[in-house]
Amino acid sequence: MLEKIKELLSKCKQSADLAESSADVNDLRVRYLGKSGEYTGLLRGLKDVAPAERGAIGKLINEGKIKIETLLAEKERYFKAKEEEKKLRSEKIDVTLSKGASIGSTHPITKVKNEILDTFIGLGFAVKEGPEIETDYYNFQTLGIPADHPARDMQDTFYISENILLRTHTSPMQSRTMLSQKPPIRIVVPGKVYRADDDATHSPIFNQIEGLCVEEGISLAHLKNMLEIFAKSTFNKDTKVRFRPSYFPFTEPSVEVDISCSICGGKGCRLCKGTGWIEVLGAGIVNPAVLENCGIDSKKYSGFAFGFGIDRIAMLKYGIPDIRLMYENDVNFLKQYK
Amino acid sequence: MKAPLSWLKDYVDINVSVDELAAKLVGAGFEIEEVIHPSDQYVNIKAVKILSMEKHPNADKLQICQVDAGDSKLQIVTAAKNVAVGDVVALALDNSRLPDGTEIKKGELRGVLSEGMFCGGSELKLTAGDYPQAGIDGVFIFPEGVKPGTDINDFLGTNDVVFDISVTANRPDCNSVLGIAREIAAVLRQPMKDTFALPAMQEKGKIDASLSVEVRDTELCPRYLAKMLDNVVIAPSDELIKRRLRLVGLRPINNIVDITNYILFDIGQPMHAFDYNYIKGGKIVVRRAEKGEKIVTLDGTDNALSDQNLVIANAEEPMAVAGVMGGENSGINDATTKVVFEFARFKRDNVRKTARMLGLHSDSSARFEKGIDYVSQDLALIRTMQLVSRLGAGSFVGGKIDSLKQEVAPATLCVKKEKIDEILGIDIPTEEIVRILSSLQFGVTEKSGEFTLTVPAYREDIVGANDIAEEVIRLYGYDNIVGKPLDGKKLTQGGRNRKDRLVMQTKAFLSGFGGLSETFSYSFVNPKFMDDFRLSEEDARRNVIRIMNPLSEDVSVMRTTLTPSLFSICATNYARGVKAARFYEIGKTYFPKAIPVTDTAIEKETLALAVFGEKEDFFSLKSVIESLAERFRIALDFTPSDEPFLHPYRQAFISVNGKKIGYIGEMHPAVTKQRKFDEKLYVAELDLDVFFEYAVEFLPFVAVSKFPSIERDLALVVKEDVYGGDMLKLINQTGGAYLRSATIFDVYSGLGVLPGKKSVAFNLLFRKDDGTLDGEEVNSAVDNILKAMSDAFGAKLRD
Repeated sequence: MLEKIKELLSKCKQSADLAESSADVNDLRVRYLGKSGEYTGLLRGLKDVAPAERGAIGKLINEGKIKIETLLAEKERYFKAKEEEKKLRSEKIDVTLSKGASIGSTHPITKVKNEILDTFIGLGFAVKEGPEIETDYYNFQTLGIPADHPARDMQDTFYISENILLRTHTSPMQSRTMLSQKPPIRIVVPGKVYRADDDATHSPIFNQIEGLCVEEGISLAHLKNMLEIFAKSTFNKDTKVRFRPSYFPFTEPSVEVDISCSICGGKGCRLCKGTGWIEVLGAGIVNPAVLENCGIDSKKYSGFAFGFGIDRIAMLKYGIPDIRLMYENDVNFLKQYK
Repeated sequence: MKAPLSWLKDYVDINVSVDELAAKLVGAGFEIEEVIHPSDQYVNIKAVKILSMEKHPNADKLQICQVDAGDSKLQIVTAAKNVAVGDVVALALDNSRLPDGTEIKKGELRGVLSEGMFCGGSELKLTAGDYPQAGIDGVFIFPEGVKPGTDINDFLGTNDVVFDISVTANRPDCNSVLGIAREIAAVLRQPMKDTFALPAMQEKGKIDASLSVEVRDTELCPRYLAKMLDNVVIAPSDELIKRRLRLVGLRPINNIVDITNYILFDIGQPMHAFDYNYIKGGKIVVRRAEKGEKIVTLDGTDNALSDQNLVIANAEEPMAVAGVMGGENSGINDATTKVVFEFARFKRDNVRKTARMLGLHSDSSARFEKGIDYVSQDLALIRTMQLVSRLGAGSFVGGKIDSLKQEVAPATLCVKKEKIDEILGIDIPTEEIVRILSSLQFGVTEKSGEFTLTVPAYREDIVGANDIAEEVIRLYGYDNIVGKPLDGKKLTQGGRNRKDRLVMQTKAFLSGFGGLSETFSYSFVNPKFMDDFRLSEEDARRNVIRIMNPLSEDVSVMRTTLTPSLFSICATNYARGVKAARFYEIGKTYFPKAIPVTDTAIEKETLALAVFGEKEDFFSLKSVIESLAERFRIALDFTPSDEPFLHPYRQAFISVNGKKIGYIGEMHPAVTKQRKFDEKLYVAELDLDVFFEYAVEFLPFVAVSKFPSIERDLALVVKEDVYGGDMLKLINQTGGAYLRSATIFDVYSGLGVLPGKKSVAFNLLFRKDDGTLDGEEVNSAVDNILKAMSDAFGAKLRD
């Protein structure tokens, strides 16, 4: 009996070594361990063994069975892994190929507008919008620019009729807001504005953001701080802000605001024409007459207002040389801005 | 405003460099457009004396001159006939440049060396008004006393610097050399020189004896001052006046006209000189024109006047349009012997209105439109008397006529230091404020933190504390303002409104995985789009708002649809070789509330999309819109439509809750052909205002069912023209409470389906939220659907 066990074990090992696939291994399992398998037959032969030895022999047979099972399982794992690898290899792909990205693009004006609005929203400013087709009254008169005022020459206006026009700035929303809302007021007004001008730096349509803050005790120093935050967040943390005296009928004092050149950082370059500064916006303290026009007590309240061209900021920020590129909509231009 | 440095020095000592002065003016609020060096126009041009002349051996018309150029002797070949030995003439030397940019080099003329070229008056940009001999066709001969070798810039006075200054609308007083000089005095902390001493002159007679002035409209003419000059000798002005007029871009004409032009720049007071002979009745009447009255002005135009126009008339007729232009009939001429000078203040907005109405513009009207103060008339009168005296241009008649009977008292203001500090946000020492305001010619007294100020008469822009704060800070220096946070102020809630937020989300969606490029195009378009797009006469989109003064017809009406703009963008890109692209724009469309337009418009936020390229079709664009609708949980309906610019069988109206909000379709080939666009182009447009009304930004939690679902597929045969969308809608209506979704997964016609019919295959999914569905419940729901489909569409289950 002992020899028989040994013989079968070694025979099984030899056959296992000759196996070439998991199917072969399965066949071996049936041949040796199946219901009528050769090794299973040994157990049936146990009844012929002397009862005193039966226990020891039985144990040996069982140990042998475990050996065979272990051996076959190992073989099977080996072949399964090999076969899986073969199947996967057949599925190999060229990962360097592509079906192309399908992302669109966001216009630089929208990108810059959203960045700037986010800055001011964080400072407590609410976003408002107003009509593009405006009345002469809101566009000019409430802002201290009556008919035949020389300041009307500052802005070439498109007229729809005698009293209706395409707004030349987002400033009408200053008076529209102040007429309907009491201080404290902090608003930013993005929108399209129109001027009869067309060259490399002027488009007849461009986009502005107007800012207005009305409260007690507002000063030029507050304005400067706000614009410093704007300049640093829009360009970089080292950007400086400079005021120069100017004139707008609806602010007094009025300032032109320069920022340190975004290209050379103030050392002087072609963009800033060697001055180190770039004019970006107009601002000032709200003219008390405008507050009074809007029913706000100018003795109690004061405010600052500013307005700038989003297009110009976008041109500066991205280095776009000609404003007309932004309205030409060449897909290769647009696709640069994700 | 052009201000020559030498002229400014009449008023104030300037002890800094040109660059420094320019920087200081900018700091004080005067932008420098340009610093002009007038000598740049004359390079290497000198006075030379002709020593000898001989005939050119090879040319009959040429002469060879030997000239004395001061430090050298030169040989010049000339064709000029007006010169003789001994004349001192203008010579452009080797390597010289004339005002028109012509460069002169030495060279040979018919084999004889010429070391330069003689110049005539016109080549030197001079006219007979500058020098009588400049008007002659030939070489410019210098007046006596000019030494050979003199640079022409020294002769013409062009060795100067002219500041071209941009003056803001609030500072009309600075449209004069005097005004700029006052600012320079303040920024340089220099005193102003007194240049307004009355000259010692003999006057004869009384003006009242031969002239009266009647101002009938004192609102439009608050002041009219007249002075009469007799025994007038019309002659050229002196060198100084001529030089200065040239420096500011004016041509000298004669002494009387030059004086008025000179004073316009010097004091900023426009003047007019009337020939007394034309003042019929010895009477000047300042009045509104009568309806139908006419005047031929100096420029030769015939103007029909109205009562909106102020005129200076004699007893019978208008002699000048007040402040704008004189009449042809009353001007100064060589025979003039008696002149009446006008110094007036006209209302600025009326001058502006008149100038625009008549299309007449002059230096005088430009100046009056900006506003004239009450003291310039007196200063201009003194200056006139000084100049007449200096030029010996005539003798004044005694007295003057002034319509202003009472001197206008200077304005006074009380401003607290506290208020100035509050506006500026910094603390400026009281002494500094006093010093600055005094330097700007304010009368200043200070008492316990309050300034009492007398405002200079020429500063009508100063009305309150804010103006004073501005005066102080522009001289104190804006760089001294240090940013200060809004500490201690009331909090306000910042943020976007709903529409702005939804627009931003829409853009993020489309520009993101939607794969579309955002565009910006002009809000005004060519009205031709209406015909190009074959819109019917009744189409609401023909109701465009027109711009009165467009840049061109191409951009003359406000758009009522964005699709033409996007089509144009596609066509432009296509022409540049782009084979495929996806574009969108969010912008306004504009509709009038009424015609004519007397109010703001109806502005609709609109979204338009356009896609083209191999991978695009109707459904690829529709899927973008459906995804966007799903993003905002909006249920859209697509129904057949009849837009005239779309393919008649490939277009649909888009609606929400029964409201039509837009369309989608393939562009009609007849339209795309117009722009040589040969691909299929798919477009869509949506009214975002209505679309957003239905946008759901928030939905409360709904429990997810844990029970299994049951799917059923149905293939139904219907007539070919039945819309799948209609079938789906009916399934959803009749599928019962457990129907969770229904989709079409196949549409088939061909073998196995009768001609004229199609088979539409639906996948239905049923589920219960609170238990397991049994087959009977599903069967009964499917039966309901089948019955409804059979009733509505004659649908039969496919065999």
